Amino acid sequence: MGRKVAFIAAMFGALALAGSAQARVEVQWWHAMSGVLGDRLNELVEKFNTSQDKYTVVAVAKGNYDEVTNGVIAAYRAKRPPEMVQIAERGYMTMLLSGAVIPVQDLIEQKGYKVDFSDFIKPVASFWSYKGRMSAMPFNSSTPIFWYNKDHFQKAGFDKPADTWQELESQLYAIKSKGISECGTVLPGDFYWSLLENYSAINNQPYGTLANGFDGLGTEFVYNKTKVVSQVARLKKWLDDGVMQIAGQGFSPEQLFTSGRCSTFVNSTASHGNIERNATISWSATFLPHESDINPPLNSTIGGGAIWVLKGHTPERYEAVAAFLNFVAQPETQVWWHGATGYVPATNRAYALARERGYYKDHPTREIAVLQLSRGTPNENSRGFRFGNFVQTMLAQRQEVEAVFAGQKQPQQAMDDAVKRGNEILRQFEKLNAGKTPETERP
Amino acid sequence: MSGKTRRPAQEAGLKRANFGDGPGLPTLLLLPQLLILLFFFFIPSLRALTQSVLLSDPFGTTVQFVWFDNFKTLFASSEYRQSIAVTFWFTVAQNVLTLGSALVLAFATDRIVRARSVYRTIILLPYAIAPAIAGILWAFLFNPAVGPLAQMLHRLGIAWDPNLNPTDALILVTLAASWKHICYDYIFLVVGLLAVPVSLMEAAAVDGAGPIRRFVSIALPMLGPTIFFLTVMNFIYGFFETFAIIDAVTKGGPAGATNILVYKVFVDGFVNLDLGSSAAQSVLLMSFALICTLLQFRYFDRKVNYGV
Repeated sequence: MGRKVAFIAAMFGALALAGSAQARVEVQWWHAMSGVLGDRLNELVEKFNTSQDKYTVVAVAKGNYDEVTNGVIAAYRAKRPPEMVQIAERGYMTMLLSGAVIPVQDLIEQKGYKVDFSDFIKPVASFWSYKGRMSAMPFNSSTPIFWYNKDHFQKAGFDKPADTWQELESQLYAIKSKGISECGTVLPGDFYWSLLENYSAINNQPYGTLANGFDGLGTEFVYNKTKVVSQVARLKKWLDDGVMQIAGQGFSPEQLFTSGRCSTFVNSTASHGNIERNATISWSATFLPHESDINPPLNSTIGGGAIWVLKGHTPERYEAVAAFLNFVAQPETQVWWHGATGYVPATNRAYALARERGYYKDHPTREIAVLQLSRGTPNENSRGFRFGNFVQTMLAQRQEVEAVFAGQKQPQQAMDDAVKRGNEILRQFEKLNAGKTPETERP
Repeated sequence: MSGKTRRPAQEAGLKRANFGDGPGLPTLLLLPQLLILLFFFFIPSLRALTQSVLLSDPFGTTVQFVWFDNFKTLFASSEYRQSIAVTFWFTVAQNVLTLGSALVLAFATDRIVRARSVYRTIILLPYAIAPAIAGILWAFLFNPAVGPLAQMLHRLGIAWDPNLNPTDALILVTLAASWKHICYDYIFLVVGLLAVPVSLMEAAAVDGAGPIRRFVSIALPMLGPTIFFLTVMNFIYGFFETFAIIDAVTKGGPAGATNILVYKVFVDGFVNLDLGSSAAQSVLLMSFALICTLLQFRYFDRKVNYGV
């Protein structure tokens, strides 16, 4: 009998201990980072968790961006959403008008943290904010840059890739005709982002009406009337002449570049981690090319993701969320993340800090993204792209471009069709979200 | 077959199970299956039906009732029509290829005496490979830049490129999907061949019929019901289960060349977050499959000889 009582007492004791260990408030953060980037993200969370003893952030990898979005939608509908989720830039309008999120600036201010939102670098701040208030915490912001194989260019007698598409073209053809490389460049998997959208911004071409969607839901695509058409024709020509290759499914364009098969490659600045790890060639990177008749070229725009906060949790959990977001916004955290991954430092202070420490002397290619993002004065064409159902319109456009590559359609016809399909998709989004304003309700 | 007259159960070789009186026990025994059907078929089907007449945002905060707009939009869209055509060619080609190869293999392994089980095991292996892995494997083998088989084709002067050429892409996914499914058909055909009476084959052999003649004239007609069943199963496989292979090999491209209906349902629902359209498509897909199956049973079933 006595032993039983002792046993029960011991059990209670254990429970009490477990209870005190759980005094930390635990919040979940679903994200889409894998590989090197996933490892870095876990390090970041670990840094936060050990920096204080009140909160624990649990980072959960939920697959790619699409899978994370689906996961969070399913969880929200089942009334069990995570507190935070990382969503790609293309999902901005969907999240903003979902009615499921709390604007991060409201939350952070309400919980008493001082984050200087005016210090975020311009393209980042303007993309992730609505009417001047930050909707989501910029986390992994990137922009496409131009990577090249130094040896290939040297052998062909060039210092580096040319600044304009026209000169670059002759360089790539020279590299091929001299037999230095079979493949001048490889089509990026997300070419719609780097070679069409960012191309439009850099070359000061309108992509859609209403400041590329920034001024309202009534926007329409117009890229079938701009240089984008000749850009598609250029890519098709390169493909036909064997100057450009397509890596294809199950094989990444990056591998064709890092293995030395292809001489150049347009991809996100966030590839730094992987390329540094995998490249067997001597590589470097520079700005994306621009058209020869555009002077000066404008800034590129951001891609990547941000952290959104979801509704439906207790106030004490939002304390933990605000503490974490505040941690993410700190210049120290930003500098570390920038260095560890290649993503853009989100704030001016973080960028200045990285400069002061001489970081770019050892890593010159890491600065290209920031310089390219802050080049010139952003205007309507280069502020960014904010379309509803953006993933869907992009897939329609992608299909039409593929029809050009397959020789089924002429570039003009394909872009006309892409714009027509895209506009129908935009109208559906408008119909569904007409009159909605984003949530300003506070937790 | 003894025509329409019913034979007593015992004579027909059937046993009457006895569950005692009342519906209690049979119902209890059926219950698990009914519950599974309820949760994994009836409720989802009902949800799909309701969702197909709604326009809603992904998070479900705004929902509009739009009657049959989702269906109208679908039929007006050329991509959907393209998807139907692609699905048709894909399932038919896959069916012919799968069944044809499985028949040849079944015939061949039935002939071989030595190490028969080794061959059978090898043929059955692809079944153990996850569709996505199988897809990656084929995508790699036929990748125009690095794939060894693609290089071979290039050396033969064939400009193979599934990333660019819609026909090549369709051929590639058809091959991959068939390869993955041959073993399924093969198992049934091997078992079917075992059921062919040895006496008939021997009699034919004595009469001087060669192995191929014996297979075509005796075994094949007796495999009728099996082949019929497999045809239905292959269509269902092509309609619903090849999704992972498409995703891994072509992602529906290039230019929608391999965007079969089930893959389009997935992309529109889970990537584009267009739930109404996706639901409408899955309702249509379900109806297609239902009609196909009904037609097959209605018209083709009569030509199949079940008697032994």
